[in-house]
Amino acid sequence: MENETFDIVVVGAGPAGSMAALHAAKAGRKVCLFERKPVVGVPVRCGEGIGLKGMTASIDVNPKWIRTKITKACFVSPSGIKVPVGRMDESYIINREIMEQDLVDMAAKAGAVYRNSTSVNAVKPLNGNWYVCETSGASVKAKCVILAEGIESRLARGLGWKTDLSAEDVETCAFCHVDHESIKGDTVDFYVGSGYAPGGFVWIFPHGKGRANVGLGILGSFHDAGRSKEYLLKFVERFYPDAKISDLHCGGVPVAKWQKPLVRNGVMLVGDAARQVNALSGAGIGYGLYAGRIAGEISAASFTGTECDYKSLKQYEKKWASFYGKQQMRSYSLKKMLMTNNNDKFYDSVAKSFVGANPEKMGYMRIFFRAFAKHPGMLVKVFLLFR
Amino acid sequence: MLKIDRSACDECGTCISICPFDALVFNPGLKVDDAKCVSCGKCVRICPFGALSLAAEMSSANPSGCPETETV
Repeated sequence: MENETFDIVVVGAGPAGSMAALHAAKAGRKVCLFERKPVVGVPVRCGEGIGLKGMTASIDVNPKWIRTKITKACFVSPSGIKVPVGRMDESYIINREIMEQDLVDMAAKAGAVYRNSTSVNAVKPLNGNWYVCETSGASVKAKCVILAEGIESRLARGLGWKTDLSAEDVETCAFCHVDHESIKGDTVDFYVGSGYAPGGFVWIFPHGKGRANVGLGILGSFHDAGRSKEYLLKFVERFYPDAKISDLHCGGVPVAKWQKPLVRNGVMLVGDAARQVNALSGAGIGYGLYAGRIAGEISAASFTGTECDYKSLKQYEKKWASFYGKQQMRSYSLKKMLMTNNNDKFYDSVAKSFVGANPEKMGYMRIFFRAFAKHPGMLVKVFLLFR
Repeated sequence: MLKIDRSACDECGTCISICPFDALVFNPGLKVDDAKCVSCGKCVRICPFGALSLAAEMSSANPSGCPETETV
């Protein structure tokens, strides 16, 4: 039997994949969007924090997606010194479950065919610039394939990419919902230190007063079997005794360099699959939305009739590199540098130097530069990065 | 041999991302391809929930399946 054919197949319906499908379909292409899970965005494997700028660069924000607005942050050092931050870019805790379902619905409304509960097991090139996508259901053919399969980025391996991560380039995360009366509705807290999350941090992202997403990431090179879960439960027990815990899940965050090339012949990588994540903070929603949108637009524009011009797909990499690519590479270099000083004494000494500082004058960047200023050699490197 | 504790696995895919041998896959739940797996243990150490473990090899040299007492 002849395979069903599409112009563009997108694998993975997270933020990057649905944005790609939405924009390719909007431009009139015949698009199929595959999702392994029955319901997209469930369970949520994310802290759900995002800066407004990161969203509006790619999409109009629907108020339904917002859980709460964040106006303050607080960093806590290994020995418990608090550094309050009052100068924040506009930031939100969002509801990814609702957002992702909406993005899929928007893609479907624009004409994309959505197939959930369907694994794509292999993508193989065929004669005549076709790719066959072998799925757990019927196989389909397409001229262009956008891989948005998330951290595992496995299909890309069969097409020539080397996507396996080294342990120092992945944050191993666990998170849960905590109900406790001490949770403030408008402040995000970060705890740093080897006792909390070696090579990473604990986050407390409120959903509103009394409830928060509490999670942590441990750098892979400091991790051992089950450690993320163990440290998270220990943290919750210590800071929120007798709290109600629900929705305990885990996930990995790539903190690597973005994958080069992003395009090979008719295949494009987007989102976590392309390692498009800020390696210092672990934030990836904004990058994923943007990469998905431009990959969708550019793939659609690369078609003449039913033929796809592979050369013009490369515009995607150029656009990404100039818009977020440089910033992402910087975050990777900074992460590397920070990890060379990753000890509790260092974080405590940075926190101590801010005791008594006015929170209204405190922004993330100030803390950051102070941290590197403690090591003049590093500060020079940081300035070079920001040139 | 790699063992997957189904009740502990949350299907997050972190192990797949770190496997240098492409031996792990979602189909639709997590599966290991024993022909590709070399028991390096990277996935065991990275699993956030500790759902993976290495059991002693059952080989023709050790048909009983009992754990070997000596390792090279």
